[in-house]
Amino acid sequence: MFPRDAVIHIFFAFSILLASPGWSQAEPVIQDYQAELIERAGQTRLADEREWQLLLHYEVDLFGRAASEEDDEGFFLSPRGKFDPQAELDATIAQFFVTDLVGRSKQPAQCAFIARYHWLKERLQFDPHRLAPLECGRFDRWRAEMNPQGVSLIFPAAFLNNPASMFGHTFLRIDQRGQTEQTRLLAYTIDYAADVPDGAGIEYVYKGIFGAYKGFFSTPPYYFKVQAYRDIENRDMWEYQLNLTPDQIDRLLMHAWEMGNAYFDYFFFKENCSYHILSLLEYANPSLHLRDRFSLWTIPADTVRAIIDSPGLVGAATYRPSRSTIIKRKRALLTDEERSLSIGLMRDPDIAKESSFASLPLLRRAFVLDVASDYLRYKGESDDPEVTVYKERNRRVLTERSKLSIPSAEINIRPFTKQPDVGHRTTRVALGGGWRNDDTFEEASFRAVYHHLLDPEPGYTPDAQLEAFAVTVRRYNQADRVRVERATLINILSLSPIDDLFRAPSWRVNVGMDTLRRRGCQLCDNVVVDGGVGAAMESHVLNREVYFAFAEAEANYSKAYEERHRVGGGATVGMLADVTDRWKLILSWSYRRYPFGDKSDDIRWYAGSRLTLAQNWAVRMDYNHRDRDNDVVVSFQAFF
Amino acid sequence: MSKKVLLLAVAVLFGSQAGLAMAANPDTGPGCGLGKVMWQNYPNVKTKGSQILMATTNGSFGTQTFGISTGTLGCTDDGRWWAEQKATMFAELNADALAQEMAQGRGEHLASMATLLGVAQPQHAAFFAMAQERYAALSGAGELSPAAMVQALNEGISADSSLVKVALN
Repeated sequence: MFPRDAVIHIFFAFSILLASPGWSQAEPVIQDYQAELIERAGQTRLADEREWQLLLHYEVDLFGRAASEEDDEGFFLSPRGKFDPQAELDATIAQFFVTDLVGRSKQPAQCAFIARYHWLKERLQFDPHRLAPLECGRFDRWRAEMNPQGVSLIFPAAFLNNPASMFGHTFLRIDQRGQTEQTRLLAYTIDYAADVPDGAGIEYVYKGIFGAYKGFFSTPPYYFKVQAYRDIENRDMWEYQLNLTPDQIDRLLMHAWEMGNAYFDYFFFKENCSYHILSLLEYANPSLHLRDRFSLWTIPADTVRAIIDSPGLVGAATYRPSRSTIIKRKRALLTDEERSLSIGLMRDPDIAKESSFASLPLLRRAFVLDVASDYLRYKGESDDPEVTVYKERNRRVLTERSKLSIPSAEINIRPFTKQPDVGHRTTRVALGGGWRNDDTFEEASFRAVYHHLLDPEPGYTPDAQLEAFAVTVRRYNQADRVRVERATLINILSLSPIDDLFRAPSWRVNVGMDTLRRRGCQLCDNVVVDGGVGAAMESHVLNREVYFAFAEAEANYSKAYEERHRVGGGATVGMLADVTDRWKLILSWSYRRYPFGDKSDDIRWYAGSRLTLAQNWAVRMDYNHRDRDNDVVVSFQAFF
Repeated sequence: MSKKVLLLAVAVLFGSQAGLAMAANPDTGPGCGLGKVMWQNYPNVKTKGSQILMATTNGSFGTQTFGISTGTLGCTDDGRWWAEQKATMFAELNADALAQEMAQGRGEHLASMATLLGVAQPQHAAFFAMAQERYAALSGAGELSPAAMVQALNEGISADSSLVKVALN
């Protein structure tokens, strides 16, 4: 053999080796394609596109820097992913080429981050020969189980005796193919909530506010949520059908699947349940900018309004009454005799055997027993210590009922409130003027959240009030002074009209400051902390009236007092009246006696009147009287 | 004797849930017992204070049980019920509502239960009537546990030829 032949042979041998598969030539090809994709992504600035920002939940801070709201490392494929969209995109593309298990869900990146995969695949036109698509069996099974055909937004409203629940909650329900009105319960939901350990006490409040809890997405079946909200917590629920295309539903589900990999720190005010639900909807349809109006805080009811304001997004709204609403509506359909039989049955189911009951027509007997059973179930879920007694009585009532062998009639239960989205927005500003004693003034006020008894009612739970972070500034003309007239840290009032079935105390709490005229001081700051417990009753003389009485305790701090403070208690009685749909009045009279600090007593009158002009506009007039101190103000209010 | 065998066979055939319901106590069944556990962790309604606090942030139990894409956990697989557990778990978690609706011969929970047991929509009215009839017997015998309810419903399905025929289709 001559060297030339050897060289030729060796050359051929190399060529054959190089051409054969199995040689690690494959790796450079992958690297090439990966690099190619990354470069194209960089050139087309994909990392700046809205969809990428939505998928990674980037928000731009005051300095224009991006930071993801995601707080779990497992959500990012790049160590700089939280702050660097480009790095994250590059790392994501790279990770698509391997089958390493990533994320909390422990799947290959194409499946763990399936929404990212599908979006990048579409934008960069992945070549399946150079980037092999993986089967994502877990996602496919999950999606098949969801069996999606539509999406509904669910809003549980406030419940009785707890004004804080007025904030509401929102979650999504994935409506199934072939779902009927009767089988809505079987649908899965997508819910974002804080993972709160058992037995959390007061720390629950500040941990929730400051993000010490982790929030997760989960998919409990709808019947679970209905039981929690409607049965246990007695909340009315509103179901808003959303108009999403099949493609948009897929995007929503894929992104929800990705969110299973991670948590956000749960911030009660801003990044709460409703905020994150909005983020899912925005990825489904990026032309929606639902979160734009929520910069400092996100109130669920406001997010429902935001969704409804998006043209064409919401279809039908369905009402799902709480058990207490059902009972009240059904009870109104009973005759007096049937009503007392129903109450009798609740106490002693054997009344069903008596002739006064047995002589009723079959349908009426069934109805009376149904109301008795509804009420016994209501009591069976309460904090009443006699829960087992109620459950046993219910069993006997139901046994009697089943013997009647007819199905119960469908009753249309009308809500007591209008749809929550027609309610006024939660931040209020007002401009007004008036006079106090010998002086006139102009005033401007601001209230951050939420709803006052005299704010327009539609869409709000009746007789519940919650106000926080409010301030009123006045300019007194003669005295030529501008001062902070009133401020409220928190002011909660809950009236629960008592009747033969529903008996709960009314209560109120108030922390704030106001202005006092006392002892030579014309206008003095006065810090107020007070609260009370009482009772309320409803009547329908004109339209609707509620009478209330409270026993109260109060502490005041002001330099106008001897010893700078006084502590005492007393009572308040009053009434509110819905005179017409637009006009509401409140009158109250209070007596206080302060045995501690500056020993004194105090009698106060209040009359307030509100005329609704529109959903977000109203006119108020308030008259306050204290010892030789009279204050009248008229103001225009706007809600936004 | 042979009729009993037939009933049993039919029940086992089209309703594996039936087999589980009859055989397994949900508390000790395969990887479950979830019903009890979940309600234990729910904010105890007896403590009004915590109830009020909970309402403000909607802290929720079940976030881990139904966590999306977190793998298997007890009765769930990535947050969906294991298929064979669905009817049992529905009965377990909705026992009160189901009992009431059986006695009343109508209702959402009863309709949902019918769907889970494979009864088609047109047969729901017959299913409701059957359920109402069986309620009195169950109540009288003091047998109102969720497992007993599901068993009674399945027996009712197999005993009624119109319900059985459609379910098998």
